[in-house]
Amino acid sequence: MRYDVTMDPIDARELEAVVSHPGAGAICTFSGIVRDNSRGQTVTHLDYEAYAEMAVPQMRKIGQEIKDRWPESRVAMAHRTGHLEIGQVSVVVAVSCPHRQEAFEACKWGIDRLKESVPIWKKEHAADGTFWIEGDEKKPA
Amino acid sequence: MAIAVAVSVRFFARLRELAGAENAALQVPPGSTLADVYAALRTKHPALPARDSVRGALNQEFAGWDEHVSEGDEVAFIPPVSGGARCATT
Repeated sequence: MRYDVTMDPIDARELEAVVSHPGAGAICTFSGIVRDNSRGQTVTHLDYEAYAEMAVPQMRKIGQEIKDRWPESRVAMAHRTGHLEIGQVSVVVAVSCPHRQEAFEACKWGIDRLKESVPIWKKEHAADGTFWIEGDEKKPA
Repeated sequence: MAIAVAVSVRFFARLRELAGAENAALQVPPGSTLADVYAALRTKHPALPARDSVRGALNQEFAGWDEHVSEGDEVAFIPPVSGGARCATT
């Protein structure tokens, strides 16, 4: 188990190594990547801001929820903060399970929960301005 | 009986920009709730948005608006997170 909020680049292979063990026949890894467009506009870069003292415990809570649903799983999560360029990795969720089906399901559960309940915010620098992304809404920064 | 409780407040993301501050120290009457704290902050920082687009956190846990604050609590007001469209409110 490992839960990080970090200014440094995230190495998905490192998180996979954390969850890997001889009984794990499947590792499912989600990587979120900074995309060059959003809502029809060109995006130049992003800034992520975290409430780190709360974000890490929230991630740990999600890891526990995954363990409750998929008892044989192991989980690692990392989210990057600060200035990110197009193509860089912003978030990684790696889950190992004995078999692939529960690994896919648990990984999807993990990234969906992280996106809705971990206090990390995205500021989008786009062709039409700079915006905070709040759920489905963008609000001028 | 204390005449006031002191809490520290943290703002993040859009709320930080609207408040023009990352932190605030605030004294509120004993028995105040998170809703009372936010209302007091809005009088100091009128640019802060209405409560319905914000969640409260108390000592690094999401908390309901009717939760009471105590001396030394860390209070945070949190705008919706980036993928949080389906976020349940507490």
